[in-house]
Formats: sequence, C-alpha cells, structure tokens
Amino acid sequence: MTLGMELRYRWMKDVALPVLLKARERNRRKGSIGESPLGPPLESTRSLKRLMTRHYALARYAEGARPVAWVTSGAPVELLRAFGCYSVYPENHAALCGARRMGPEICTRAEEAGFSRDLCSYARVDLGHALSGLTPVGRLPRPDVLFCTNNICQTILYWFKELSHREGIPLVLFDTPFISVGEGTPEVFDYVAGQIKDAVPALERITGREFREDRFHEVLRSSIRASALWGEVLATMRHRPAPMTVFDAFVHLAPVVSLRGLPSCERYYEGLLAELQERVSRDVAAVPGERHRLMWDNIAIWFALAPLSRLFAEHGCAGVAGTYPNAWAETNHYLDLADPFGSLAKTYALIFLNRGLDYRLGLMEAMGRDYQVDGLVLHSARSCKPYSVGQYDLRRSLAGRLGIKSVVLEGDMTDFRTWSEEQARTRLTAFFESLDG
Amino acid sequence: MGRTAYLQGQKAAGRKVAAVWPARYPAELLWAHGVCPAEVWDPPAGQALAGAHLQSYVCGIVRQGLELLLSGGLTTADILLFPHTCDSIQNLGSLVRDLVHEPRPCLYFYPPRSGRSERAAVYLEAQLRTLSADLTRIAGPLRDGALEGALALGNGRAAALRHMYDLRARGALDASNEEFYGAVRTCEYLWPEDAVLHLEAFMKTHAGRPRRGVPLVLSGVLPAPSDLAQRLDGLSVAVVEDDLLACGRRFARALLPEPGDPWRAMAARLLALPPCSTAGDSVEDRASFLAEQVERTGGRGVLVLALKFCEPELFQIPSLVDAMRGRGIPVLAVETELGNSAPAGMMTRVEAFLESLP
Ligand code: SF4
Ligand code: SF4
Repeated sequence: MTLGMELRYRWMKDVALPVLLKARERNRRKGSIGESPLGPPLESTRSLKRLMTRHYALARYAEGARPVAWVTSGAPVELLRAFGCYSVYPENHAALCGARRMGPEICTRAEEAGFSRDLCSYARVDLGHALSGLTPVGRLPRPDVLFCTNNICQTILYWFKELSHREGIPLVLFDTPFISVGEGTPEVFDYVAGQIKDAVPALERITGREFREDRFHEVLRSSIRASALWGEVLATMRHRPAPMTVFDAFVHLAPVVSLRGLPSCERYYEGLLAELQERVSRDVAAVPGERHRLMWDNIAIWFALAPLSRLFAEHGCAGVAGTYPNAWAETNHYLDLADPFGSLAKTYALIFLNRGLDYRLGLMEAMGRDYQVDGLVLHSARSCKPYSVGQYDLRRSLAGRLGIKSVVLEGDMTDFRTWSEEQARTRLTAFFESLDG
Repeated sequence: MGRTAYLQGQKAAGRKVAAVWPARYPAELLWAHGVCPAEVWDPPAGQALAGAHLQSYVCGIVRQGLELLLSGGLTTADILLFPHTCDSIQNLGSLVRDLVHEPRPCLYFYPPRSGRSERAAVYLEAQLRTLSADLTRIAGPLRDGALEGALALGNGRAAALRHMYDLRARGALDASNEEFYGAVRTCEYLWPEDAVLHLEAFMKTHAGRPRRGVPLVLSGVLPAPSDLAQRLDGLSVAVVEDDLLACGRRFARALLPEPGDPWRAMAARLLALPPCSTAGDSVEDRASFLAEQVERTGGRGVLVLALKFCEPELFQIPSLVDAMRGRGIPVLAVETELGNSAPAGMMTRVEAFLESLP
C-alpha cells in the first residue's frame, strides 16, 4: 500500500466521486415510466444507486490503497473490516451482471475454459469475469485475499478454491458444518469460532495490518444495527397493503450483503426504513389494489426482475416475503460483543441454508403466517442445488400446513439461456388466476 | 451371493445394516458398533419416483439412490447414513428425514473442509463420538476393544486394497477392468473380513501376467455407466491406477503411524485419505497425486470421468486437465452419466484419445 495510492483513494472517496455521482444524477434524463401497474417507486432507490455505484467505482481505487478482499455473502466480513479491507462480493457482482443481462455472455467465457454449463451460474460469471475482464462495472480490483464461508453451500468452496488456484491469491476459509438436526452443538461452534480466531494472524500477515479490537467491536455494532434495520425494512411488508415488494427487497438487499459493518450501510437503511414507515402510515401500496400476498423462495431471477414484478402487479399480486432477503436479518441476534468470536460462529453457522429442510420448512411456515401469505412462488434455480434440492417437497408440505397454492418456476439466477419468458408468463398467469378462485 | 442376500445374512448373524450414501465416512465406527455399511452409489434403479422429489438437474447418484429408497430397495437397512459430501447429498439427507418422513434413523456425518488441520481433527473426533452415541442407541454400546478391533479391520482391508492396486500397477494381475472393479466394489457392502477374503481370493485366482493394453489412469467419481469398464476392455485399455471417488480415493495409500487413542486414530485415518474435491483439497494436491500415480505405474494418459451435475468434480476438472497437460501427461475428460451403456459419442472420443497417445 503506497501513500500515493492512499491519497488517490481518499480524494476519490471524499471529493471526486460524490461530485461525479451528483452530476451524473442531474444529467440523467428522466425516462418516462409509462403505464405501470406498480405503485410509486421508492425514493430511496436513488440513494441505493448512488451508494452501490460509489462502492463499485471506489473499488477500482482501493487496489493498492487498501487490502482488497473478495468475500462470500455469508462470510463474517466484520473481521475483515477490522483490518480496513475493501470488500467486493462476487455473488453481488454476478447478480448485477445478471440484472444487466450479461450472464450468458460472461458464463460462456468460463464454459470455453472447460467449466460445465451445469455449474452455479454465479460462479461461472465470476470465473468468466476473471478470464475475460467482462463486467458492467468497469473493472473489479484484484483481491489480496479471498474470504470464504461454506454456510450457503459447498459449491462456493470449490469456486473460491478454483479462483485461488488460478489467480494465486490466498484463501481464508471458514468451514461451517451443515446442521442437519437441531440447533447445532458446542463442537460445531467451537470449530467455527476457532477458525475465525485463526484468521486473525492470517489476515495480519496478508494485509500487513494489526488487528484492532476496538475497531472490530465498532464494526460488529454497526453490523448488528444494519441487519436489525434490514429486518425492520422487511417487516414493513407485513402491513396490508405492503409498502414494497419482495422484488424491491432483492434490489435493496445489496448494502446489507456488501456493506454490512460500514456506517454508510446503517445510514442507508435508516433512510429506507423511514420512507417505508411513512408509506405504511399513509397506506401507500407497492401494488395498488393488492389482492394476493405471495412468498418467493430462492434467489431472484435477476434478468427477469422487472417483467416479473410488473406481471405480479398486473394481477394484483404482491410478493411480500422471501426466504433469500430474510437471510441477512435472520441470525444477527446471535451477535454479542461480549463473545465476538463465539457469537460470529453462531450467527454464520445457523443461517437457514446451513440447516436441514425441517428448519427451512418451519421458517417458511412462520413467514407465511407472519406476512399473511396466500400463495408461494418457488424459483427452482437450475444451477443452485443447495437452495433448490428439496423445493418440491417443501412446496407440498407448505401447501398442507398453510393451505396455500403454489407454483414452481424453472429458472436461473443469471443465465437466461434455458429461460422461457413466455412459458413463465403462462404458468404464472394460470397460477394468479387460480388464486382468484 | 448377491448383495441383498449377503446383507440379509449379516442381519441373521446379529448385525445391523446401514445404507450409506457416498463418499467418505468412518466405516470403522460402524463396524465397531456391529453395523455393516452397504453403500448406495449407482444402484440399477430408474428415476420415476425420485422425479417427484428432485429436479432433473441433480446428479444420478442422488436421484437413483432416492429411487432405490422410495421403491423399497433398501428394506434390509436399519439405518440410513448421509455423509455431507456435497450440496446435493446434504439436502437429500435432510429431504429423506424431514420431508419424505423416512421412519428409520437417519444419521449424518460432516467431513471437515478446513484442510488436514488439528482443528479438523478435533472436530472430527467430537463428531465421531456423537455418531457413536447415536449408533449406541440403535445398535448397542461399544464393547471393550471394539474400536481397536475395527481399526485393525480397516487396516486389513486397506492393506488388501493396496496390495491389489499394487499388483495391477506392477502388471501382476491377470484381470480385466471389469473384473477388477467388480472385485474392488464388493467392499461397498462386504463386512471387512469378508472383503479381505474376497480380495485375497481374487488376487490368487487372477495372479499372472496382465492382458496387454494401453495403460491408463482413471479419475472422476466412479466407473460409469455400468458397462464402462467392459467397454474399456474392448478398447484394450489396461487401467493401471485410479483416483476414483468410489474406489482409489477411499483408502490410504500408505500405512501411516497413528495416535494410540482410537478416536484420534479414526479421525487421523479420514484425514489421511488421498486428495479429494469433495474434501475441499486443492487441485494442486490432486494433480500431484495423479501425476505420481501416472509416473509410478507407467500410465500413458489420464481419463477423467466427469459425472454430470457433480459440482465438486466439475469445478476442479478444467484446472486438473491443465495441470496434467502442464506436466506433459495426456488427458481426456468426458462427461458421463449413470446408466447401462456408454454413449457412442463418448466412446468415440475415448478411442480418438487412445489413438493420439504417444
Ligand atoms: S450454488 Fe447457490 S448458494 Fe451457492 S454460490 Fe451458487 S447461487 Fe449461491
Ligand atoms: S456424484 Fe458428485 S454431486 Fe453426485 S453425490 Fe457424488 S459428490 Fe455429490
């Protein structure tokens, strides 16, 4: 890390980028929204765009000024922040590539290098990006460290190992044993906490920086608050009519995934929550004339988010709950400043994707009741096995427990080569009509 | 004697039977509790019933294993054991217990991915004790010396397998690929003493000069489709080694000194297995292991059997192929599926590969 790089980074962060982003916003012509079945768009979306654009823009200047880490969505990023690392989330980047409909183009680059088309498309986007540099964000900084936890899937471990091998970048791994039954044992948490502790000297070596406990605590506090705020944001959808939808939640999830532990993340959710609470007080509906309230299971179909959102709304259907967005609010109550390592272990080992399907079923049932859901849409994501295997039975069980109807959409997160918009539309329309009875 | 009849015999002799899904698990602990593991890899089952529970993009091992279970093909089993080998098996194990409501006890085993570290060993040991407590409830407590006895059985079986692999590598086994893998894979369900007897008898019967053929090393999950070994025989391929997940990746290649404590020893044994994608081992380690095998056995190339939808393997294969080529070792990766017969296209590629070998 050189002083010149540090000064350049600070200048971009504090001076140039804020000015550039404001100017860009001013110059952006207001596109006509046209006839929309949706309610008024969230004001906060503009701040979100600014925040995330800034995050990716600044990332380019972080290289050489800050230790850069590529991080998995379920990793204890709080530890990295204590070292002042700049974090980039390949999963979030892949989602962005998906939303910009670049998935197949980038995936093809990975496939040309021998990676099977059946592999997780987030991973293919990432490996394709590493091989080609293709990205909608200009450039991603080269990482100094890869920071990976297999609490979301085992796949991420193979993916990050591969990245580490190809790029010659050190990998810090937290192995979180899958909790098939019960609430996890002390052995599991000791094992995970031990690995997090072991990461401290490893990160000191890699970053050349000393671990500062006070900074760590500050970050933990901020992370707890951000996740709690995110939980409150989601909870506003319990209101009838819901002030936002699960599709909005997918979009507004980015900061709690990528910027957790930073003050900007907290500030952002304070603003979003205030806006939603205000909407609730005035009964502003995200889907005017909301007739049905649906739960979405699995990751978003990023490339079809907008058309799906419209289609739902055209039929008076509001997606009001989602297992995926909920994951970042689900376990943060375990975090405890009195036992940072042990509580991080619990927080990250106990997320629903790292637990048996019985737990997932209970969680979905509770969400179904809390959010007064009358239908379920399951996205069977072709290239995400951990999320998708078991969905057919979850669907049957939930139908029995909640008495709700459901539909399965065969899709993918980013790769639309096997997606048929027409087929999805037909299926969903038939489903929505069945809800109307 | 067929597999089912054999397992029924085990039950008649007072043992319990555990249906075990792939791949690596502490067989010694099951033996110590008097439980005979019967592994579920590629049973000749269709996929009609499993289709109602699993999407088409799940690997054949998971789909056919579930089919076997749902169609009543695992009635001899008293216990089901699911090692957390990959995301698909992980979810299958949970699906069977939680959503299909399998009434028999479902047990789980998590092979640590944090390298072959002390932490991994400690966690493994704790997990073995938990698993043992579960087995105690089902099959009764451990007798004095049972763990030590089971470790000795494990040593015996690994030694027999090493010997057999060694004979094949040295060209001192007159056995076709089909015969060889047929014998090795009986270890998937035979009680270890029977497995050793079987392997020894096999080695005796097949002692002699090997059939002529192109020496190849196999990699991947398992010899599939089921006629693959036979088809390789037909192409005059003499497999000389393998790091197949179902075969050569499941026994230590050398007898290493072990801690005196049997729990520790069991954990150490699992951590001493050859490098494996499912264990989170690096591709460098796997490539070095394979290259060593090629060099030691005089293999002229490596044939990688990439099982469709197998994430752990499919992630490693491109770099593994590069690493082999980088070492000047010819390599071919073909996509395979379970089933009865190898597709013509795949076999054509194998033939072309054989012709291209120096
Ligand atoms: S397999 Fe699924 S959970 Fe894992 S990284 Fe891919 S999309 Fe995420
Ligand atoms: S073949 Fe691969 S994906 Fe299938 S069960 Fe085995 S390790 Fe898992």
